[in-house]
Amino acid sequence: MNPVSSRPLCIVVAAMGGEGGGVLTDWIVEAANASGLAVQSTSVPGVAQRTGATTYYVEIFPIPLAELGGAEPILALSPSLGEVDLIVATELMEAARSVTRGWSDPGRTHLIASTHRVHAVAEKMEMGDGRYDEDHLRQAIVAGTGGRLLFDMEQAARSAGCIVNAVLLGAIAGSGLLPIAPETFEERITAGGKAVESNLRGFRLGLQAARGEVPAAPPVSHKRPHAEVDGAGLVAVQLGFLPAAARALAEEGVKRLVAYQDVRYARLYVERLRSLAAATQDEAVLARVARHLAVRMSFEDVIHVARLKTAPARMERIRAEIAARPGQPVVVKDFLKPGLEEVCALMPGFLARPILAAAHRGGWADKAAWGRQVNANGIWGFASLRLLAGLKPWRRYSHRFAQEQAGIEDWLAAVADAARLSPALGLEVAECARLIKGYGETWRRGTANFQRIRDAVVAPAATGLWPLPFALDAIANARAAALADPDGGRLDRTLAAIAGKAAA
Amino acid sequence: MAERSFQHEIGLLRLGEGETFRGEGILAVTKALLQSGVTYVGGYQGAPVSHLMDVLIDAEDLLGELGVHVEAATNEAGAAALLAASLAYPVRGAVTWKSVVGTNVASDALSNLASPGVIGGALIIIGEDYGDGASVIQERSHAFAMKSSLWLLDPRPHLPSIVHMVEKGFELSEASNTPVMVELRIKACHVTGSFKTKDNKAGAPLQAPAAFDYGRLSHPPSTFTHEAAKVEHRLPAARAFIREHRLNEVFPGTRSDVGIIVQGGLYNSLMRALAKLGLADALGNSQIPIYCLNVTWPLVPEEVSEFCAGKAAVLMVEEGTPEYLEQTLSLMMRQADIQTRLSGKDCLPQAGEYTADVLAAGLAKFLDSEPARQMAAVTETRRKTASALLDRDLPGRPPGFCTGCPERPVFSALKLAQKDIGQTHVAADIGCHSFGTLPPFSMGNSILGFGMSLASAAAISSVTGKRPVAVMGDGGFWHNGIISGVAGSLFNKGDGVLVILQNGYTSATGQQFMPSTLAEGHRNETPMDIEATLKVMGVKWLKKVRSYSVSTMRETLKEAIKGAGKGLRVIIADGECQLARQRRVKVEDAARLKAGERVVRVRYGVDDDICSGDHACIRLSGCPSLTIKPNPDPLRDDPVASVIQSCVGCGLCGEVAHAAALCPSFWRAEVIQNPSRFDLWLDGLRRRVIGWMQKGARA
Repeated sequence: MNPVSSRPLCIVVAAMGGEGGGVLTDWIVEAANASGLAVQSTSVPGVAQRTGATTYYVEIFPIPLAELGGAEPILALSPSLGEVDLIVATELMEAARSVTRGWSDPGRTHLIASTHRVHAVAEKMEMGDGRYDEDHLRQAIVAGTGGRLLFDMEQAARSAGCIVNAVLLGAIAGSGLLPIAPETFEERITAGGKAVESNLRGFRLGLQAARGEVPAAPPVSHKRPHAEVDGAGLVAVQLGFLPAAARALAEEGVKRLVAYQDVRYARLYVERLRSLAAATQDEAVLARVARHLAVRMSFEDVIHVARLKTAPARMERIRAEIAARPGQPVVVKDFLKPGLEEVCALMPGFLARPILAAAHRGGWADKAAWGRQVNANGIWGFASLRLLAGLKPWRRYSHRFAQEQAGIEDWLAAVADAARLSPALGLEVAECARLIKGYGETWRRGTANFQRIRDAVVAPAATGLWPLPFALDAIANARAAALADPDGGRLDRTLAAIAGKAAA
Repeated sequence: MAERSFQHEIGLLRLGEGETFRGEGILAVTKALLQSGVTYVGGYQGAPVSHLMDVLIDAEDLLGELGVHVEAATNEAGAAALLAASLAYPVRGAVTWKSVVGTNVASDALSNLASPGVIGGALIIIGEDYGDGASVIQERSHAFAMKSSLWLLDPRPHLPSIVHMVEKGFELSEASNTPVMVELRIKACHVTGSFKTKDNKAGAPLQAPAAFDYGRLSHPPSTFTHEAAKVEHRLPAARAFIREHRLNEVFPGTRSDVGIIVQGGLYNSLMRALAKLGLADALGNSQIPIYCLNVTWPLVPEEVSEFCAGKAAVLMVEEGTPEYLEQTLSLMMRQADIQTRLSGKDCLPQAGEYTADVLAAGLAKFLDSEPARQMAAVTETRRKTASALLDRDLPGRPPGFCTGCPERPVFSALKLAQKDIGQTHVAADIGCHSFGTLPPFSMGNSILGFGMSLASAAAISSVTGKRPVAVMGDGGFWHNGIISGVAGSLFNKGDGVLVILQNGYTSATGQQFMPSTLAEGHRNETPMDIEATLKVMGVKWLKKVRSYSVSTMRETLKEAIKGAGKGLRVIIADGECQLARQRRVKVEDAARLKAGERVVRVRYGVDDDICSGDHACIRLSGCPSLTIKPNPDPLRDDPVASVIQSCVGCGLCGEVAHAAALCPSFWRAEVIQNPSRFDLWLDGLRRRVIGWMQKGARA
């Protein structure tokens, strides 16, 4: 047997359609060619679409062709398990996918990947939060690889004005893992002749990162605290009865409700928290309720939407989001389609109730809606939204207001009852408020689901007849089921299963 | 082609004697065709061989110089029929398509071609869409070679080998009067490498029309003569040629007790598997002798005997099912009374791609040696350990509709329509629209082939009592659907709904032009029109709806599905492929911006303080540009919807929010670049008045 101990360097490039994975692979291949090395790449580029995961595979033989005495290495067309030297991924989950497929080996594999997330459809379409836990992804990557370079290359690419592939190439060049000089990689970008300047900027960012100058991660907090409003301070000082964590949240709640309605409404919020605090001193329960109560009390109605659509900061946010340059006029149109429920919500109960009852009987409650595209930064569009937002004082007399307050009192009572039995149970009941959100059908579905869980699970659990672990599980499962599918099939099955078990 | 320009690739096709070609496998094949002096080339697009036709269609000048005719056939049957030129004349020609599906479509013409045989070299380049990344049913094209007596080449995935086999393929075809298939797997089509080029050869000069010869027709009694000729003359001639020109390769090894027979296309994977087990080095030196079949049909009995005789056991490495080669080998060895033990599918899996890991495990079983078994076990452990690094499966990321795709809104509308009128049977088809079968739409009860959706729905209303909905692309319509579907339905007075997604290209394969393409620079000056065609055919209920008008589409669908009366109802969902459109519009807009003209850029967005994080909009869209981001509300956690920079402003999210009365968080923004004086005046006025109103509100 010929004692050629050298094996090819194996490189996996994991990308998604449209991210330039093919170009990146070509750059690597051309750089290896230019260095006199045997190289081969293959791909399964899917079809012409721009979203699916795409894998490119490259093998480079580390001994120059000229030194092989006319022999040619046989290079493989797909990676073998545990036999990849370098994994390059354009996104965090694709990096983890390559690792958990078994291509990497902690003793051999180096990984270069961007840490930003591009969420898969399955993650995006969940009714609550379907995002895969990023910490788990990172832990898997760390456990499965030998060395790593991880940073937000998407951010770096944006700052360089290129796409992520140029940054990755720089990181590969700087890693020193391939027997190819960084300049040779750089020359491939120049030779390509496309977007050379921005690609070189991105390349250098990657190169620097590989040499230890990883760009600082952007600030982690994405939260936008509520703006200061007149009168909120005076209400917030009354929150002294709350533990610190709950108080911080409640201060936000107070600001939110003063802006949403008025100081009097914010005081009601404080009073509601105070009566709950009389039932339980549990910090977690109070914090959770402080959060959900403020959200529930600022329920989404036409007045609220009109206020947010005409908020002064909104246009600036939009201009920044669409990268409009100063001096470029921007015309914003909003898609508003209030349904019968939304309109009736503004009427006093004695008018709204019969209309809604008739509509539900007639089966046209869902169908009656008034679709409008409003030019929100046009004079008439803005004026009419402003006028709607100005109906705020009227809200107190509306059908929806009364309906919501009753619902909130009922939920608070349930939380208090449960918390008296056990703080953990109180927390579970409090968390059910998450189900009620949104507009139109989303709101109807959420409210109905909440009510079903309230009647079928929360009420019996609050009697204290169910064993506590069973009660906790039942509420959590029911809540998860309600968020699992919009048709309610999972919730039906889960509630039936809970009833069955409870009876047994 | 609309996809992109192929000037670089055309440059490679022009390389002359002794120069170096560097590029992909399928382009190397294209160059090999020109070096072989083809007179005509045809085909139907499909991964992984689309590139061959795309480049040639763009290479008008070069082909004009060489006198090569290129035919963009409307389906594979048409492409196969093109080979009749080599049946009647001593001219070389080649056709290409995706297999096994394309070969299925082509098989009628192929049988009728194979029966009389050819006098000029005829090559069929098939992209064997098998294994990882394949998009079609997993079957073997091998069966077609066997049943029709076509020869099948399966070259090593190595550019010089591929080019050599294409060139030799023509000679083999001529020497045995038989059309020859060259099979390239997906990765072999995309494998990069280099080879020394030769000068291109011009096509054959013009010649007199062939004289009438009944014996060249696939008609009785000629067909009986053809059948005999296949086995009595063509097969022996082919075997002699293969043997004489050493198309198959034997790589000697140090061991004499065992041997491996491998399909050429699997050679590299086999070598890697042997290297893993320490039985070969990286330069192709193996301890075990290898008989590499660059020709997988027919097999040459003498070569088989020479390789197998005297060995205790041989392993046949043959991908896919059934194991045609193993069966044939077994027969040959029995007939030659060779007592060597034959292994194959007893050691290797019956189904699925043979990667190096799979082959290493199979080899371990075949060799029954402890070190080999341990190596294979280590790999298996590694796979398990790696997948245990995460406690929950990662969500898949299949290809889906592009940002701004005009087909997505049709599925949004169908989903909304079903909510109103209940579940309907949906017959899906081949094309980008088959992504409608994936989340968030998950629609489609069957896929029966390209352009077959309407035909596959013909018996459904008698089963469900409801009108089914068949979805078809314009590519599928011209490929097959117009006859099998529309003509069939009208002829049978069928009752059903056909939705034709008219985006102007065969998009899934790379935006090739097709008969009704309206794009600028298209070769046809009077493109065929689907609407006019359907009218002429006698479709009475026919509506054309702009794809993005979700409300209108929903109502039209409801009317078509529920409406009174009987008969075929056709909805043409009209919207240009957004990839093709963006490629054009981007260039136009950039030019207009540079010239200082007024350009309006449209983007959609979500008010993150109004979005409540239910994601119903995503469940009705699935657009890559409509995604989620962390909730900026300090009191909420569920992520909110967000439109990212890649948005092309197609308007679907607004339409859906409107049609489904979802929520008021969507906005549409028009950025006016190079504004006119009126734009600036109006903007200034609006800002002043609104600023005044805002101040008033705060006061």
